Amino acid sequence: MAMAKPSVIIVGSGAGGSVAAWALATAGHPVVVFEKGRNLLPGLGGPGPIGSLFGNDILKESRSFEDQDPVLEPRSLRSQSDAHNGVARSFVGDVNDLPTVVGGGTIHWDAKTPRFWRQDFKGLSLYGPVPGANVADWPLTYDDLAPFYDEVERHLGVQGDVGRMPAHTLAQAPRAHQFVMPPNPPMYAGLLLGAGAARLGYTAYPFPMAVNSTAYGGRPRCNSCGFCSGYGCPINARGGAAVSFLHDAIRAGAELRPRSFVHRIDMASADRAAGVSYLDANGNHRSERADIVILAASAIETARLLLLSANSDHPAGIGNHSGQLGHNLMFHFFTLAGALFNEEIHATRGPSSTMTIDDFVGPARPPEAAAAGLPYVKGGICETGGTLGYGQEIGIYASAFPAGGGGHKQLMRQSALRRHATGISMVGEDMPQIDNRVDLDPQLHDVYGFAIPRITHSAHRFELVASEHYGPMLRAICDASPGIIPGASTYVPVGTLAELSGPGSPLYGLATTAHIMGTARMGDDPASSVADAFGRLHDVSNVFVGDGAVFVSSGGFNPTNTIMALSLRMARSIAGVVAASTAAASLPNTAQPASPSGPAVVAAAATVAALGAAGRRRSRRAREPGDD
Amino acid sequence: MAIGRRSFLQGAGALGLLAVMPRTRLLELITASASSGAPGHFLDAHQLDTLRAVTYRFIPGPLDQPGPLNSPPETDPGAREGHCAEAVDILLNAFSFDPPMIHAGGPFSNRAGAGHDDFADFVPLDAHAALGWRIRIEGSKGIPEREFAGPVQGLQAIYVSGLAELDRRSQSAYGAGFAAVSGAQQDAILLEAANNPGDSLNTFVATALAQTLDAMYGPPEYGGNHGLAGWQYTHFEGDVQPRGWTDAEVSQPASGGSILGTAAGRDAIRFFASMRGRPASRERPWLALAGFNRG
Repeated sequence: MAMAKPSVIIVGSGAGGSVAAWALATAGHPVVVFEKGRNLLPGLGGPGPIGSLFGNDILKESRSFEDQDPVLEPRSLRSQSDAHNGVARSFVGDVNDLPTVVGGGTIHWDAKTPRFWRQDFKGLSLYGPVPGANVADWPLTYDDLAPFYDEVERHLGVQGDVGRMPAHTLAQAPRAHQFVMPPNPPMYAGLLLGAGAARLGYTAYPFPMAVNSTAYGGRPRCNSCGFCSGYGCPINARGGAAVSFLHDAIRAGAELRPRSFVHRIDMASADRAAGVSYLDANGNHRSERADIVILAASAIETARLLLLSANSDHPAGIGNHSGQLGHNLMFHFFTLAGALFNEEIHATRGPSSTMTIDDFVGPARPPEAAAAGLPYVKGGICETGGTLGYGQEIGIYASAFPAGGGGHKQLMRQSALRRHATGISMVGEDMPQIDNRVDLDPQLHDVYGFAIPRITHSAHRFELVASEHYGPMLRAICDASPGIIPGASTYVPVGTLAELSGPGSPLYGLATTAHIMGTARMGDDPASSVADAFGRLHDVSNVFVGDGAVFVSSGGFNPTNTIMALSLRMARSIAGVVAASTAAASLPNTAQPASPSGPAVVAAAATVAALGAAGRRRSRRAREPGDD
Repeated sequence: MAIGRRSFLQGAGALGLLAVMPRTRLLELITASASSGAPGHFLDAHQLDTLRAVTYRFIPGPLDQPGPLNSPPETDPGAREGHCAEAVDILLNAFSFDPPMIHAGGPFSNRAGAGHDDFADFVPLDAHAALGWRIRIEGSKGIPEREFAGPVQGLQAIYVSGLAELDRRSQSAYGAGFAAVSGAQQDAILLEAANNPGDSLNTFVATALAQTLDAMYGPPEYGGNHGLAGWQYTHFEGDVQPRGWTDAEVSQPASGGSILGTAAGRDAIRFFASMRGRPASRERPWLALAGFNRG
């Protein structure tokens, strides 16, 4: 057919935006990607290999090299009780900032790519309501998403070993295929903790991650330099939005416009967008028109853009007839356990951590949950065997010695936390709450002159009780690990680190993570959700949300793989390749046959699960004697 | 103080004449300025000497009076040998270099197998990033473009006023300028400010500490960590790309010593135990972070 395919504007070049750009550009759609930040990957989208301006440099990492600059684009923050008492804000600055560059958060992500589990999509049906939380089912199932996980992981370049994954994991997140690469060399500290876990009946296994253990996708093998989470990769061995997807999208014809800040969705009618208004790299006001607009600016910025775009037809923000826009904001609060080991265990060598334990995902129903009026608690997947990097070590010692006296130097000389400590950090599922939200700060503006996003957030007792429940179990693994100095272990429940480590501590980043979800939740009912099961706004027929804003629950898992899978499913519905119920019907030129996905995938997954046990025995013997 | 203010203005004038400096010249200047009595790139000679004295207390070296917590004899280099004050002074005038000395280049230095030191080729700032760093370093100075969120005190002003206030307190308490009093007296002034969030010197001390540590332990291309002084005694291998680590180095135990029964082990255990805190308030877990800013 000669008819042109619908043109697409994508706002944001991170996980969601780049995957959509790749899927749509390679399907022949004209695509323009707007990115508020600059490009720090020379050669991206070009014919040769992709370069990198990142290095093993602790200063650049702390100098807003890739992050949003809070001096220019601050955010404000307050608690629920602040909001209740009419306090406009209690903090202004860096609030859950993600990298604001081409590639978004995946520029310095830890690249851990667990999938959400079956139960995460049906929390309300399976486990019932939680008092004070806005628990709901997703409008899709694990099986709906599974083929998109498969495709995303293949193109992203994910390593792992299905044969070593526990049966309970594969029952909850069945896999149709082995990973495209074997695991990285295991970090020694992770092997020690894995041995401790095994003694207690838990299973540590190679953490699936978007890191090249072999050359893959035109990018080299990881050499375990250790500057991983929080650092841009100097050699692009780590997969991500830019290097795995946007690069190919540009080569397929997508146009990337860095340093272009989209501040408004322009409407053609009450239920159709005409395009967007933006400031270009020189600060000029410009507009772009397209058939479809996809928002993938992160859960905070996507909600902000929809709110900034309010007009007479959408007085409370575009897509907000449900009143849910900006609400149900979710983070992940990590629970940490750590221990000191007698020998040097160099847990800084490798991609932050190579092992995971998912025995604490839950749900569990301990007495303390009932005492708190909770029907159950859930924890999350555990990053196992990392430690503080050099920059973090410098910071935490400084919190103990804020002036002179030589104490800081003494601790640095010993460098015990970096060389002799390791630990476990558990991603904690965060309950959605109506009162945890993003709105527009009523007074403060950013450098562009637009209202900054204001975050209102308080933890639910669900997270705090869960952290106190699982924390001692994580510590017990440390205590059971070979080589630990007896008694030199601890666990740090949610919320503690921020308080004890004080202003400026890098541990703040561990205590309140950059996992940002919710604010435009998907659902079948337009009265209680913002977007449909394919990310399309209920209120506007050609505006889609392609990032973590659509999450209904936060799960106990690093969210990026799920963001990417949801975005790919959304993009395929736009391209007409997936039976998208109502999603494709009103879009121009998208009526194409759908491809079935469900039953075949389920059958394949069952096969993998059956094969899993044998594979697990075999590979464990072959690879990691210390882990038995 | 009047002297500090005048010196500041003189420094600003000199800054204009320096214009933009090539990198090789810069390295010469860094080396040359590591002795007292000469002006820096932003600070005047007295301010720089005062800042040096501050950094020597943060990281004492063999020539400095030992602090109570680093037991003598101190044999490892300190902020003096690492040129920390000189590196901070460079940051305070980062925009006199082209590109500004804010973000070192990448991906590799020449310390782990690469032929060229990419770190030395600083990354140019575009207009947006430059504005952020102008505000951070110079302050908003009443310029409307910089005051969209209200006035901002820049690093330059924090240092100029903080160094002057150190002198004022030292004169008042000990009858001499900060750089001239004993290490113990300097420690007392710094510690009091650091321990009191409401103290007018608190921001200066926190800023100077963070930037001294950055200078000592960051890549030497930023002007500090002279001779890799900071990396050697902390057993830090530095930037290891493009060599990286072998599979065995990742997965096998290291040959380093054990710490059980040593002073290091006792200190580590004590520090580790101190990390066990009480849970923060449910309502405002971030409040202890007021003022926290990654930049």
